[in-house]
Amino acid sequence: MNIDKYPELKPGKKYIKRYYVAIMLWIVGRAIQAACRLDKEVIKEFSELPEKFTFSLGVLPDGPFMIIGKDDKGRAKYMGWNKGRTRFPLEMNIKSLEAAIKVFTFQEGTATAFARERFIVDGDLGYALAVVRVLNIIEVYLLPKIITKLAVKRYPRWSEFSPLRKWVNRILIYIRAFTF
Amino acid sequence: MILPKYSEFCGRVKTLSGASALEAIPGELKKMNSKKALIITDKGVESAGLIKIVKEAISKKGSKLTVGAIYDETPPDSDYKVVNSVASIYRNKNCDSIIAVGGGSVLDTAKGVNILVSLGGDNVLAYSGAGAVKQRLKPLVAVPTTAGTGSEMTLVAVIADHDRHIKMTFVSYFLLPDIAVLDPRMTKTLPASITAFTGMDAMTHAIEAYFCLGKNPMSDTTAFKAIQLVSKNILNAVKNPGDMESRLAMANAAALAGIAFSNSMVGLVHNLGHATGAVCHVPHGVCMSIYLPYGMEYNLHKVGDLIGELLYPLAGPEIFAKTPKKQRPRATIDYVRGLNEELKKATGGRHATALKDILDREGKQMVPRDAIPVIAKNAMGDGAKTYNPEEQSFDDNIMVIEAAWEGKPLDLKKIKKGPKNQKF
Repeated sequence: MNIDKYPELKPGKKYIKRYYVAIMLWIVGRAIQAACRLDKEVIKEFSELPEKFTFSLGVLPDGPFMIIGKDDKGRAKYMGWNKGRTRFPLEMNIKSLEAAIKVFTFQEGTATAFARERFIVDGDLGYALAVVRVLNIIEVYLLPKIITKLAVKRYPRWSEFSPLRKWVNRILIYIRAFTF
Repeated sequence: MILPKYSEFCGRVKTLSGASALEAIPGELKKMNSKKALIITDKGVESAGLIKIVKEAISKKGSKLTVGAIYDETPPDSDYKVVNSVASIYRNKNCDSIIAVGGGSVLDTAKGVNILVSLGGDNVLAYSGAGAVKQRLKPLVAVPTTAGTGSEMTLVAVIADHDRHIKMTFVSYFLLPDIAVLDPRMTKTLPASITAFTGMDAMTHAIEAYFCLGKNPMSDTTAFKAIQLVSKNILNAVKNPGDMESRLAMANAAALAGIAFSNSMVGLVHNLGHATGAVCHVPHGVCMSIYLPYGMEYNLHKVGDLIGELLYPLAGPEIFAKTPKKQRPRATIDYVRGLNEELKKATGGRHATALKDILDREGKQMVPRDAIPVIAKNAMGDGAKTYNPEEQSFDDNIMVIEAAWEGKPLDLKKIKKGPKNQKF
């Protein structure tokens, strides 16, 4: 029997999609770190998480990932993209690169992605919800309203999120995320 | 029908349903090479004589199944320390399977015990969260003694850490029991008020499964049938507890609703219900029956059409056909409120329809008004809100809980509305 007639199938690499998701995760990670020094809701969410809490958000099976931890002052710190074999108290993973693309191109909101079982959450679900709330706030800061509305269930009203807060923090978050 | 772009469904619990379903347990366990079972139950089930029925049923001539031990001290809120100690009983007695006979707490305790005895370790909390259990566990037979929780069909266990005043959630497809036994003898002696609120618990599972974000055609099917069965049988089961046909129908409804919500998840009703239970120790089903109409009102602008469709299984084809399409969503909510009122009458007022009316055994109010902000805050950390169609902020929670406390319908104008036409 010619065994070569039955070759192994190896998955493709999808470099462009991987780089796109990796860049998005880097931006979101840096923005969380910046927002945790500016936005009172994000500060509050992190203050209620346990000391030394760390979580990863990424794509299965091989990444990319984003790792966020709490520093000594209780603020969020972006800790890079290389997860290695480390296990974190909370790991939120999107099941596939294709699903991650849907999430990060805002074809699917976070809640819809959860409902479609795109995510696998390892860890305490209460902490995962806190992370989702932070992600929703970050989306409001980073993206124009027309796109954010696709990603969240209800865009915050002026009474919940004043334009002054949004624009001042948006500018500062962008500066901090891309500079230091 | 709504067909989501992507959905997942898993309903692999073998179900034995009927008047002598218990007698089939030894044969089923034999197929899984089990010879010695640990029975986990609670004092209430034991004193109601249900364990005697189970023992007789599984010890009939020809059965090769022995009972290693019976643990009957499961508390009303399953506790991780209890789970840890029951696991050591299982090990000491060399059992090789578990038969859980009871309500949600017993079944959750049994799932926790099964994690420990199958995967090893001394503390079940090491496996908390989603995804920590990654392999097949020991054979688990679930015999529900209430028709409501649907826990016999779910992949979730909620186990409390009373030291830290939190409830830990365990989620894994491997937590699904191997076998669910729906035998009407197990629910025959349920008091009327418990029959009422556990039945409405099943109704809530099914209704929320039908309109929350994780809905899919398969969960819709089970939800639809569950609503029909509850609606047709709940009053009869309350008024005529000995009617075995109604009892069996309710047991099936609870199991179907369990399959539905286990696959499509639930929303605001469960979110606020879990929080109210955690803060004020109100039984889960009581919270469900009270919050259910509010959950539908809160989401009316997003999923009104879906809520309107539920008039068919609730009220039957004639009322559905007579009601104009536009009026069906409101008619569905009114029907649920009417059913709650009828259950209140049938139970002599014990089936509360407002949070302020919930009383404990000593007649004390269980949900004081000043608990509302605490409940609203607690609800922000509960996973069910993820699957609710409309966003829920702290202020939204306050508004809904206040209305439910008073027992007044929601003022729809006060609801902050996201875009209509919910995507699934």
